[in-house]
Amino acid sequence: MQNTSNAKEAVLTLNKVCKNFGGVVAAKDISFDLYSGEVFGLIGPNGAGKTTLINLITGIYKVDGGTILLNGHDITKTPAHTRARRGITRTFQHPHLLNRCDIETNIYLGVDLAKKNKLLKSLDHKKLLDELLEVAGLKLNMRDGIDKLAYGQQKLLEVVRAILTRPSVLLLDEPAAGLNQKEMEHIVALVDIAIKMNSAVLLIEHRMDLVMSICDRITVLNFGNQIANGKPAEIQDNPVVIEAYLGRKRGA
Amino acid sequence: MRKLKIKNLIILFLIALAFALIINFPHISSIYMIRVLNMTMITYLAVLSLYVVFGMAGQSSFAQCGLMGIGAYITANMCTRWGFSPIFGMIMSMLGTALFAFIIGFALFRLKRFYFSFSTIALMTILNGIFANWTKGTGGPVGMGNLVQFSVGGFVFDTEAKYFYLIIGFSIAASIIIWKLFRSPLGRSFMAVRDNEIAASCMGINNLLTKNIAFAISGILCGLAGSLFAFLSGYISATSFALPQSQLYLVVIMIGGSSSPIGALIGSILINLLPEWLRFLKDYMMLIYGVGIMGLMVVLPEGLVGGGKDLYAKYIKRKRSRVDAEQGL
Repeated sequence: MQNTSNAKEAVLTLNKVCKNFGGVVAAKDISFDLYSGEVFGLIGPNGAGKTTLINLITGIYKVDGGTILLNGHDITKTPAHTRARRGITRTFQHPHLLNRCDIETNIYLGVDLAKKNKLLKSLDHKKLLDELLEVAGLKLNMRDGIDKLAYGQQKLLEVVRAILTRPSVLLLDEPAAGLNQKEMEHIVALVDIAIKMNSAVLLIEHRMDLVMSICDRITVLNFGNQIANGKPAEIQDNPVVIEAYLGRKRGA
Repeated sequence: MRKLKIKNLIILFLIALAFALIINFPHISSIYMIRVLNMTMITYLAVLSLYVVFGMAGQSSFAQCGLMGIGAYITANMCTRWGFSPIFGMIMSMLGTALFAFIIGFALFRLKRFYFSFSTIALMTILNGIFANWTKGTGGPVGMGNLVQFSVGGFVFDTEAKYFYLIIGFSIAASIIIWKLFRSPLGRSFMAVRDNEIAASCMGINNLLTKNIAFAISGILCGLAGSLFAFLSGYISATSFALPQSQLYLVVIMIGGSSSPIGALIGSILINLLPEWLRFLKDYMMLIYGVGIMGLMVVLPEGLVGGGKDLYAKYIKRKRSRVDAEQGL
């Protein structure tokens, strides 16, 4: 796995990224590469610094140390909106939709972002939107307000909006949290579309069945430290990870 | 499908009715009433500017009347002093005001929410101070009088009725443009900044620049309103462009509803015409007027348009549930 990964050029590279909030270490020397077309899992207990890491990658927080490279270019000091325009798109743990706007306005923010990129400008965004909405199982009246949507639908809509931007890096922050089984399947289908689009997907998730089934590689965080890297099977058997996060099986 | 057609027909009919009213209004009304309506439409343009910066981009500005003043003084100086054509003066008013708003925005929008609002109060005070004291540029406390009339080619707008058509024309054009803005990428970026700045920046929107553009567009509208005001009244002074007027514009958009340009229109009409209708109350007029506005804000916090929408949604919901119940039986 490692060899094939090295053969391709990484889309996103984190190199010893650090972040402290006062005395709290949220990220300490975090390093990993993201390759296009793969799903990279980021797991760990609550407060391990997973969301902080996404905030660092998208530029909402400034890093205290280390560098972040996108397609080989240093974006460590690039503002958040420029990073988004270069292809880093994210979703939030709690959906960040425009509450006072209708669904159409919310969705078309994604199309607007895609159209800011010269390479993506001429692509058929309407077709992609229809496809995504179908895969997400969303039948929407475009002029309805966001408050008409259930929580799960809002989360799905946010993922749809993110993929609509045709991102090179897609960061999903607990997309399946609070979703029922059917909605989770929709999320998996949406992630599949993103992979076919050759996006690099970084997935934060607590639902282990989901993580183990769709991730190609996984890294485990605990108190801001990277405690393990590897394929899902390796992570499942890693004693350090079991101790810190997964928990021992009864009787084991 | 048939229902949709009937709705379209009703809208078409209303538009035709409005046009008929507008065209005939100066013939059936007193000059005083035309004057009131002209001022109403100028207020509407200023409030429409507030719809862009406050309603869409979510930044409550107390400086709109100051921007309007800049537009008015640019027109007065260019057309009356330096003898440029009125249309050129008007265009320069719009561009100059927009440029001023855009540049000052870089400083003001470093501040967020209430702090931005407070800073616009300061800006308004500074502008008013300049209007009242810069004798060379603004005529100082005396103001500038005997301003030239608006004219196109050889056609001079020398009556209230002619100005009525002119101002209505500009108002309709401005409304259509702002209406189109709502479903454009730029309009969406305004609303994204209003609702969620973090989500906006993650969607590739430069928050600071977007707010600046919103402020500049509101500057264009304010410049237009100020320019029209200078042409219409023929005399401008610092008292016309003071903080209370700016506050009034915010009240107007709050009453009308900040969710659509229609709110700005309804608010402007109400705030300008209500004092006329309430004149019979004599000494108690302002009291009743104030209490009325306060009551309106308590009952309809989303303004008249927002409240109307809510009522309509409730009506539809009740109708639907009744239909469902009947089908269930």
